[in-house]
Amino acid sequence: MSTTKSNIIGTDRDYGSLVKEDRVHSSIFTDESVFEDEMERIFHKTWLFALHESEVPKKGDFKLLKLGRFPVIAVRDENEEVQLMINRCRHRGAQVCEATQGNAKSFQCWYHGWTYNTKGDLVGVTGEEAYDKTFDAKEHGLTKVARVGNYRGFIFASHSKEGQSLDDYLGPAKKFIDILIDASPTSEIEVKPGVVSKTMYRGNWKQIGMDGYHPHYVHVSVFKIFSKRESTTGSAVGAIHLEDPFADSSPSLTRGFPNGHAALDFRFQRLPHAKDNTAELQQSEDGRKYVEDMIARYGKEHAEELIAWHGDPHLGVFPNLQLIHDHIRVVIPISSSETQVLMYPVFLKGVGQEINNKRLRSHEAFYGPASNGSPDDAEIFERVQRGLEGDANPWILLGRGINREKSDSDGTVSALISDEITQRAQMQEWKRLMTED
Amino acid sequence: MAKQIVNAAPEAINKGVVSVEQQLRVERFLNYEAALMDEHEYDRWMELWTGDDITYWVPCNSDDQDPNTGVAIIYDDRPRLLERMMRLKDKAAHAYRPRARLIRNVSGVVPLSVRGEELEVVSSFSLGEIRTGTENIWFGKCHYLLVDTSEGFRIRWKKVMLLNNDEAMPNLTFLV
Repeated sequence: MSTTKSNIIGTDRDYGSLVKEDRVHSSIFTDESVFEDEMERIFHKTWLFALHESEVPKKGDFKLLKLGRFPVIAVRDENEEVQLMINRCRHRGAQVCEATQGNAKSFQCWYHGWTYNTKGDLVGVTGEEAYDKTFDAKEHGLTKVARVGNYRGFIFASHSKEGQSLDDYLGPAKKFIDILIDASPTSEIEVKPGVVSKTMYRGNWKQIGMDGYHPHYVHVSVFKIFSKRESTTGSAVGAIHLEDPFADSSPSLTRGFPNGHAALDFRFQRLPHAKDNTAELQQSEDGRKYVEDMIARYGKEHAEELIAWHGDPHLGVFPNLQLIHDHIRVVIPISSSETQVLMYPVFLKGVGQEINNKRLRSHEAFYGPASNGSPDDAEIFERVQRGLEGDANPWILLGRGINREKSDSDGTVSALISDEITQRAQMQEWKRLMTED
Repeated sequence: MAKQIVNAAPEAINKGVVSVEQQLRVERFLNYEAALMDEHEYDRWMELWTGDDITYWVPCNSDDQDPNTGVAIIYDDRPRLLERMMRLKDKAAHAYRPRARLIRNVSGVVPLSVRGEELEVVSSFSLGEIRTGTENIWFGKCHYLLVDTSEGFRIRWKKVMLLNNDEAMPNLTFLV
């Protein structure tokens, strides 16, 4: 498979030996040269989540993002198509857009004045007559990201011209993305431009993973709070967790998909609460309407399922996307020991404001730099990063539950909620990409 | 804060809306609040708040992000603030242990308006933080609605506008 730069920059390290079935070598979290290779072999090669199309709703709306090392402009062009272009003037390489979001008719490089339209075409060259006759502006448009795909509004991108289709890449994980979108009675979600909680931690990007084993320890202070509340209602559109979803005796599962995607699958744990969730919602006018509209759209049985799942697939799409509770999470690796995490609250279309307000407050309560939940995750990731430096015994164990995995008919593998099937799925994809020719 | 001061009515700047003595009381109060936050004295800080209808708001993305339509870093009413206190005091809340060492300077205290017992005040702060070998510097502006009671000033509403509220920030493991 041809990649952007792997033939120029690359190491001869034997990555195959650093990832075994039940353990990985800690150097993959701490060694900066491994990080360099990850950029080339994973982030400049496989599919990455870029943005949700609702973040650029109108012609000329743009947003800057980072895909691997590449600064990228996502812009809705004059034909309403979302273009992903490298934010780099084709003349001397300066960024042609500096605002992180906004609306523009064109992008001008302020070094020498070259100008590009929203389709990326070079439409203005200062003193063009001084260039050779063979100079053709058509050949100097902004560089497009090699491949762009869209699954129900989720826009993905790959810097590699070749490789499997987005459809194949997502595979059975797609129906988990559906859980998030179909929490809306019109099957539409909205991610608002510029509404995002931006956090960072001093640790490796691979630490952030689906882990059903940690909540009883990392989030013990939150469970204490929940236990003191009169009602545990709160998450999303009315989940009720009167039982522990992280107990191995619960029907919760960890799930591994092809291509490194993974989920904490709470569907079977939440389904028995469908009636309670519906009753809870029906206590308010917006909630009653929501239940009615969901039933009209999806039929009673599926509507109740969707309400019970409350739009929370708890899905990790390798390598940079997670859909958890009420938000879309994007992981941005900065170095082997620094990671940014962007959390975009998801708003449901076709619902009363009370439903979205509740989702927003619920999101804030657990996620963000001063919330109840995610700061403890970030703290643990930093403690891990400091601990990994002491690599006298360098292997990290990921073997929990390896002997009780079950294969499902759709090609996914599942095990109990505390089992490390999710980490194994992610690391096997890491190994596949890092060792691929 | 600059914006609130720039937009203030001329009398709030020229003559001031409170006496010099009252101004000093406000400054002492805000410095007391800052000291309680720096020392992690949560119960005593909580006593500075008055009434059931209180709001502690730290906007995200911009100083004016509407909490009804956008995300906030903190948007607490009294029940949520009380839960925040539980976690700040909980030895098992890992992000808060060990506690950060903090020093903040409060400045730019300008009372903007007086309505009966209620006083609208703005201020700014710079805050040094050391925790687990890492030093962070935080800057912010505060907007308060204070109530002048027989026991001293009390907070009804507080908005904290962090300078970095649209940047990727590390854990905010203390009160601002």
